[in-house]
Amino acid sequence: MNTLTALAQTYVDRFETALVTLPGKGDRNITTLRKSGLEIFRKADFPHKKIEDWRFTNLSEFSKGIANDTTAPGAEATSANFDAAMEIVFVDGSFSKVLSKLDNLPDGLSVTSFADELGKGAVLSLNEDEDRALVALNTAFMQDGFCIHVTESTAVDIPLIIRFKNTASNTGRHLRNRIILSENAKLTVLEIHEGSGRYFSNPMTTVALSEGAELNHYKLQKESTDAYHLALTEAEILQNAKYNNFSLSIGAKLSRNELNTSVLGADAESQLNGAYLMRGKQHCDTTTVTEHKVPNNTSKQIYKGVLDDRAKGVFQGKIHIHPDAQQVSGDQLSKALLLSDFAEVVCKPELEIYADDVKCSHGATSGELDEVALFYMESRGISKEQARMMLIEAFLADVLEEITDEPIKDFFSEQAADWLAEVADRNE
Amino acid sequence: MLEIKDLHATVGGKEILKGINLTINSGEVHAIMGPNGAGKSTLSYVLSGRDGYEVTSGSVTYQGSDLLARSPDERACSGIFLAFQYPVEIPGVASATFLKTAVNAQRKFRGEDELDAMQFLKLVREKTKELDIKDDMLKRAVNVGFSGGEKKRNEVLQMALLEPKFMVLDETDSGLDIDALKIAADGVNRLRSPERSALVITHYQRLLDYIVPDFVHVLADGKIVKSGDKSLALELEEKGYADIDAA
Repeated sequence: MNTLTALAQTYVDRFETALVTLPGKGDRNITTLRKSGLEIFRKADFPHKKIEDWRFTNLSEFSKGIANDTTAPGAEATSANFDAAMEIVFVDGSFSKVLSKLDNLPDGLSVTSFADELGKGAVLSLNEDEDRALVALNTAFMQDGFCIHVTESTAVDIPLIIRFKNTASNTGRHLRNRIILSENAKLTVLEIHEGSGRYFSNPMTTVALSEGAELNHYKLQKESTDAYHLALTEAEILQNAKYNNFSLSIGAKLSRNELNTSVLGADAESQLNGAYLMRGKQHCDTTTVTEHKVPNNTSKQIYKGVLDDRAKGVFQGKIHIHPDAQQVSGDQLSKALLLSDFAEVVCKPELEIYADDVKCSHGATSGELDEVALFYMESRGISKEQARMMLIEAFLADVLEEITDEPIKDFFSEQAADWLAEVADRNE
Repeated sequence: MLEIKDLHATVGGKEILKGINLTINSGEVHAIMGPNGAGKSTLSYVLSGRDGYEVTSGSVTYQGSDLLARSPDERACSGIFLAFQYPVEIPGVASATFLKTAVNAQRKFRGEDELDAMQFLKLVREKTKELDIKDDMLKRAVNVGFSGGEKKRNEVLQMALLEPKFMVLDETDSGLDIDALKIAADGVNRLRSPERSALVITHYQRLLDYIVPDFVHVLADGKIVKSGDKSLALELEEKGYADIDAA
């Protein structure tokens, strides 16, 4: 038997107790599923740097358990206001009916809590193997999450807000979420992750888009700066369907946003875009895998990062074009702006192409603010600090333009502007 | 207005300015001519405070106080304007935003109320009309995709909006056809007044047909080697800089 990391051991020790308290308790299928998850996790432990995908994101401090010491004072609360007509709220990983606004959902949209479904014996499984230990851990301890379904040809024209509020905890928040859009259904969702103190958030989300469906999937990761946020989203995109994901990452001590999309039909589209703004010793990892399995479809990715102080950004993006997937176009771009000599970015673009009639591109750049442009602005009377802010905003402007929903574009732009203002205040 | 005394400056450890003395009074336009590599652009950058242009000795007094102690934006706010030889492209920053930010930064410095969007628009329309500049330039990112002529016009527009006290024109004529040159010169001439001064840096006499200087100086190897009135420029045009270099 291998020796587990301290944190992994606490999960193993806690499992039997959890089995009798977590949703679906007593259901034999769910118990079997949880046990199989725990077994995989017990063999694998938390991901470590010997696993290729985790080479640049080191969880050792986390898995030793030091980072989860809730007796130490944690970071201040983060929050983000968005005026929502429909909202589902989770507090410390559990659905809060009181805080949610789900009374007036339009016809064709259903929003339920996964804990309720587990209680009824429903099972939602993801592929688990030893390289996906976090999925296995999530399966063992899954507590709640959102289940969203939009019926055929229903276009929901107001955004659904999904809010996760977290507070200090030495147990993780293991969410299992699901979005299903039937044929030609349309939906916009905005996930907001916020919190205070030290905690570990481990949300797993599956998205299934039927033919002609369109999902705009936005995410603001603004966790407490003492938190660990390790998220996985997997989307299946059928013919003519469009998946449009945009993630803005500002918070967490260490975060990983893993996105796997499978483009499974002609004229289907996968768009993964995002921005990350990091400072202090924050670490932000964006890892994407886009699988093109059939001909005639497209994928696009643009990520932009701004890194100050000793922050580190990681971008790993893989486009995998299978042998039959001719006439596919896949574009990927990752740009990082380093505001300090100690900030760091690692970019690992990967194209794996087995078809011969495809159009693919990838680009990765990192750089500093343009000194000549700064001087030009200063020579017109603009202070150095303001000039820096204008150049950073300009750097982010084009990726924010990828957001098609105006209120959400404004909301994300404000979040970015607030971040910039804090950096400017501190520098003055 | 501006007094330069025994100014020495280095770039990358190499001495480029080797003891410049120059006094410019209110209302005067001085031209500095000279061969390539004489230090003309270095002088303009030293006056505007660019990083990497290090003053090793000497002084520059502007309106009675030490100019060199001020940051580039403070110099701009106190009325110094450098028209760049190669105006800088700033992708993602709209010209209108850039201009409004600059105008308001300078107003704020002077303790004046900042202009709101409408007031600024009115002001900028007035100036673009005077200078025959198309408004659509304002929507485009600063200098991005502008032709050489458009870039120089943009410099003139900035000058017109900021109404500086002391203008430094660094090879404003380079890359301009005669029509663009006239527009640029016209922009400068509009601002000429007993309260304003200018330093016009140029390699060729041509620009000085349109911006007629009160004094002409020849800069060679980091020093002013000859001074005179506008006839000196014509003389240089005829004889070239060869004699000067030998001097």
